Order: sequence, then structure tokens, then C-alpha cells
Amino acid sequence: MTADRKQAEVVHRVDAEHLELGGGLEVLLAAALERVAPGGVLEIRTPSRAVALELPGWARLAGHEPVGEDHRRDGHVVAIRRGASARILAGPLPPRDLGPTLREGELRTADWRSGAPPPDPDPRAGFAPLGAVVETGAPAQHWALSHGDAIWADDVGELVDQASGQQWDASRDIPWEAVQGLDNTTERAVAQVMTFLAQNEYAALYVPAGFLPQVNPQFVEVVLWLGSHVHDEARHIEVFTKRSLAGGHHGYALASTELSLSTLLDEHDFTASSLLLNVLGEGTFLDLLRFIETHAPDAATATAARLAHRDERRHVHFGISNIKRALGVDPDQVGTLVAAAETRAAKLVSLSGLSPILVEALTVMAARSLQPADLSDAAADVRTLMRTMERNRLRRLGACGFSAATARHLSDLHTPNLM
Amino acid sequence: MSGAELRLGAVAYHPRIVTIWERFRTYFADAGVPTDYILFSNYERLVEAVLDGTVEIGWNTNTAYVALDHRAQGATRILGMRDVDRDWATVLVMRKGQWPGSVAGLNGRVLALGSRDSGHAAILPLHYLAAQGVDLATLRLRRFDTDIGKHGDTGDSELHVVRAVAEGKADAGALSAAYFSAFRAESVPAVADLEVVWRSPDYYHCNFTVLDALDPELSERWSEALLAMDYDDPSLRAAMDLEGVRRWYPGDREGYASLRTAMLEQSVIS
Repeated sequence: MTADRKQAEVVHRVDAEHLELGGGLEVLLAAALERVAPGGVLEIRTPSRAVALELPGWARLAGHEPVGEDHRRDGHVVAIRRGASARILAGPLPPRDLGPTLREGELRTADWRSGAPPPDPDPRAGFAPLGAVVETGAPAQHWALSHGDAIWADDVGELVDQASGQQWDASRDIPWEAVQGLDNTTERAVAQVMTFLAQNEYAALYVPAGFLPQVNPQFVEVVLWLGSHVHDEARHIEVFTKRSLAGGHHGYALASTELSLSTLLDEHDFTASSLLLNVLGEGTFLDLLRFIETHAPDAATATAARLAHRDERRHVHFGISNIKRALGVDPDQVGTLVAAAETRAAKLVSLSGLSPILVEALTVMAARSLQPADLSDAAADVRTLMRTMERNRLRRLGACGFSAATARHLSDLHTPNLM
Repeated sequence: MSGAELRLGAVAYHPRIVTIWERFRTYFADAGVPTDYILFSNYERLVEAVLDGTVEIGWNTNTAYVALDHRAQGATRILGMRDVDRDWATVLVMRKGQWPGSVAGLNGRVLALGSRDSGHAAILPLHYLAAQGVDLATLRLRRFDTDIGKHGDTGDSELHVVRAVAEGKADAGALSAAYFSAFRAESVPAVADLEVVWRSPDYYHCNFTVLDALDPELSERWSEALLAMDYDDPSLRAAMDLEGVRRWYPGDREGYASLRTAMLEQSVIS
């Protein structure tokens, strides 16, 4: 033992027994050193001469100072002085707590934190999971969406759980064999309707996908929510594309639809996008999907519409919640949201009414023939659909917190393309 | 470049050297001793650069320092070194269970060594083994001269050493304790069945060297700035980790005596 170290300095001892470096001894030593204050000395006893010879090198690498060795017949003792540097540039971990409360055995997303997230977390903070203590020195991020008021919805935790619980499989959960046997006229109409849906669902995916990487990870529920939204829309693109292909006919990807969707991508404000996409666009699609489910000529089409409808309801719900909260915090945002709808409408002045190609396809799909009597009934149903869409749009806008007059104005501004 | 800027030479033994010195360059500027860095491909060129005044400060290996000091006839000063440089050591490793019980038992065996210009993996091992009673003439040396000019900094020749021992191509191998521990920490497969059978006395490794001619007040300020570098500063930790230092210390000549003797014995300097 070197003379410069007094016995009184030894604050801890650990017996390595037969552990070796590379075989778990490092773990034992790290745990033992946690109990030693910086500058304190740890004595390690080992029966192995090789381990004792290797320990000083390990100590240096780990930031400690080898301060003594004693090689005896009955074993070896190596002393190291704990280095002053912190292994992690962060404060200590908090003491163990009770953890989140379970509800009926479930750990729900709404229950994993107490209360709402901080309203304005550090926009430079990184991917810090809920509850984690963050080490400093990491590269700074910059999250454009870092204010809770802009992106939060009070029931986003519940919506995340619903989204996880209601996943489905577009390859297996649709009775694809039911597509067989439709006549050419009906199948061609179905192909056009499905092509229209799939085309629109691309925008419904790209919009939340664009926001997702801008969200401060401290709003993890919003991250999970947008992830589920993107995933839902991916499946909708899949299922409607599959249905359009399944019967062998093809439809048009309409330029008027593309124009309408391009203006959705132009909107970079999160809440304005909630209004234009979730509430107005996907809200209107709820009625369209219900119509398709009811009038579908085959079980595959009906099932696809029904499952997509279930997902879109969540998306609409989030949009309403997000806007309701935003207007509650700042009622003046009504003006911003109306301006967003007006700006979009101004870009769509060339559109007048829903494309006749789609109106015809919906009518033929519902009529399942070109017989005048069948077409008459179907056309009436399509007219009813348009009225239903408008009535429900007004109702949803009212739920957001808009006055009746503003709701009427916003509804009138909504794209004739439906999405 | 301002006239007041010091020039420091370092050897580019790895791309990380640029990352390290870009950060340290900013640090020294902020500390009031602006220091630019110039990279060299080998330590011999760096020693020449210190001697001819191309750079004022050389970030030297122990072998480079001894060579520089020898050629400057002792007219050098050490401005600082890393914590790890103060108790560098060479270890001998063998496959588990092969230790003959004494260093002299290695007579007649195959010994793997790192690059011949490496103080810790070639020059000092032979010096110490001879001092411990090994007849060097009986040893069959298996040298891995893979990073000549870098004085063993890359660790590459030492990786060859442990692999040669693990594969039975050598009975024992010499390398720095630091690299052996690093290989362990990185779970390099070759070291799994090796054990340390002998460790040398401690000696010094790298240091920042200047010629005595450099303004003492300036070199003192530079040294103070170096020693003030704080590992707990988040903006410095990454660069200091890359440099393998947690704390800088002032240096002295004491820990280079064994290497100087070894280099003279082996005619590395004369």
C-alpha cells in the first residue's frame, strides 16, 4: 500500500470475489462508486492477480485515480480514489415515486402524467421521454411547435388510446372476395369514387406528417396523436386504392381535387390546419363515408368506408377539441381562423361545385344501374348528402366555439371538393 | 491570423483531432490566449516544426518529447499534460492460465509488440523486460509496425498485438494499460480470453512542449488557461472526452527518465 494514502481515507470496500473486468466487475464497481463521494477511496479486494493488475488501467479510463495496491498471498487489494467529474451532466435522479395510477388494470395515456404538460417547454430540448432527467451538453433542437396553446387538445390522451385500440388491417379485415361480380357500370363508378377518396387521403396524410417533426417532444401525446393520424391515413390510402383496383376498373385523379388539396398543404398554422383539414375536410368526409357505406354495392366497399369513418371521427374530434381550446385561451383567434379559410377560398375561386365526374360516380354507385328510376332515387340521395354535409359542418363549427354567423361564413367558404 | 496568436502542432492520427482542436481553439481564444493549430502526419515532422519555430507548442507523445528535448539539449519546458498521462503504464497480456509465474519465464517465447516508435508498446516493454531479467536475445519478437510516425497513438498496432496473442501467434503481448482497458470497455472480442500478467512502473505519456526561448509569461498564461479547462462544462465535455482527458495537470520531466534511458539503450536517440 502506498504511503501517501492513510487508512482513514478508506470510505468503502468491495469484494470482487471471482468477478473479472469484462465479466461484470465494472458493474459492481460503478454501483460501489456511486456510494463514494468524489475524492473518497474505494478498496477492491480480489483473489485474482490479473484483475488486480488490470484495475489501475480501468480506474484511469473510468475517471478515477489508482492510489494503491497490496498483493498478498491471500489476495489482492487495489485502492482507487473516486474522480471529481460527474459521469452525467445532470442532477440526480428523483427518488422512486408511486408511478401512474392504473384504471381497470390499464395504464392509459391520459393518466401517465399528473396534469397538463408545461405550457411553454424549452424549444431547444431534445427527445426527453416523460419523467426523464435530461443531460446537458446535447445539441440543441429547435421545435417550431412549442407552445401548448397552439397544439394541445384536452382529450388527446384518450384519443391516442382509441387510435391504438382501433387499428385494422386493410389486407385482411376487408371481405375482398365480395368485390367480384359487379357490372361494368357500377364497378366503374366505384373505381372513380375510391380513386377520389384515395387522392384526398394523401393530403390527409401529408398535412399531419408535415407538422409531426415540428412538435416539441415534451408534448408527447400530440406526437403520438399525429403519428396515429398519419398511420390511419396511410391505411386509408391503402384500402381505397385497393378497392379501386380490386374490380379492374380505373378512375381519374381529378385536377380540381388536386388544386383543392394543394391549398391544404399551403396552410402552415397548426390550428388553422385543424380547422381546414380535421373539422371542415375530414368532417365533411364523415358524411361522405357514411353515404358510401350505406349505398355501397358490395361488402368490401361498405367495410372500407365504415372502418375509415371510425378513424376519421377521431380526427374530427381532435380538430374540434384543439380549436375549442385555442378559442377558449384566445377568442381573438377567430379572426385568424376565418382569414385562413378566406385565403384558401380565394385560391379556389375557379372551382364551382363538386366535380360532375364525382357526382355522377356517386349517383351511379348508389343506383347500381343506369335505369332512370334508379338514377332518380340515387340523385335524390346525393342531394340529401350535400344538405347533410352542410348541416353537420355547421354543427361541428358550433362545437368548436364559433358563433352561428361565423360558422355559416366558414361553411360557405369550404371547398366544393369536400376535402 | 493575428500576430499574437500562438501556433500549436498536433499529429492527425484520427479525424477526431480536428473536432478536438476546433473546440479547443475557440476555448483558448475565449481564455485570452488565441491559439491556432497545425496538423502534422507524424511526430518526427512535429518535432522539426517546434525546433524550427513553425509552431511554438508541440502536443507530443512521450517519445516525441524525449526526442525533442534531446535535440534541444534540455532547453524545453512542459506546459501541461492530461490526468491519464501522469500514470501511463505498459502491460503484458497472455492467454488466461499461461503466465509462467515470473517475467523471466518469458525467455525464449514469442512476444508481440506494437509499432517500433511507440514508447508504451515497443520501446519501454523491451527496456523493462530486460531490467526484469529477460534475455532479449532469446525473445522472438513479432512486431506490428502499423502506425509508424504516430507513436502508437492510433491503437491499431496494439489491436494487432492482442489479436496475435488471442490467436496463439504470440505467447505474450505488450501494450498500454490504457488501450487494453479501452479494448475491454469496447468488448473487443480478442481480449475476452486474455489477462494482464505484468504491469510496468508508471511513466509519463503526452505533454505540451515549448522551447525555453518562448516568452515565459505567455507560456504561463497558456498553461493556466489549459489547466482551467472544466470537464463539467457541457460545451467542453465532448472535445475533452475525445482527447481522453478529464483534467489537465502541469507537467514535469520526472516521468520521462525511463523512456530516455530506453531510447538511448535502443539507439532511438544518440
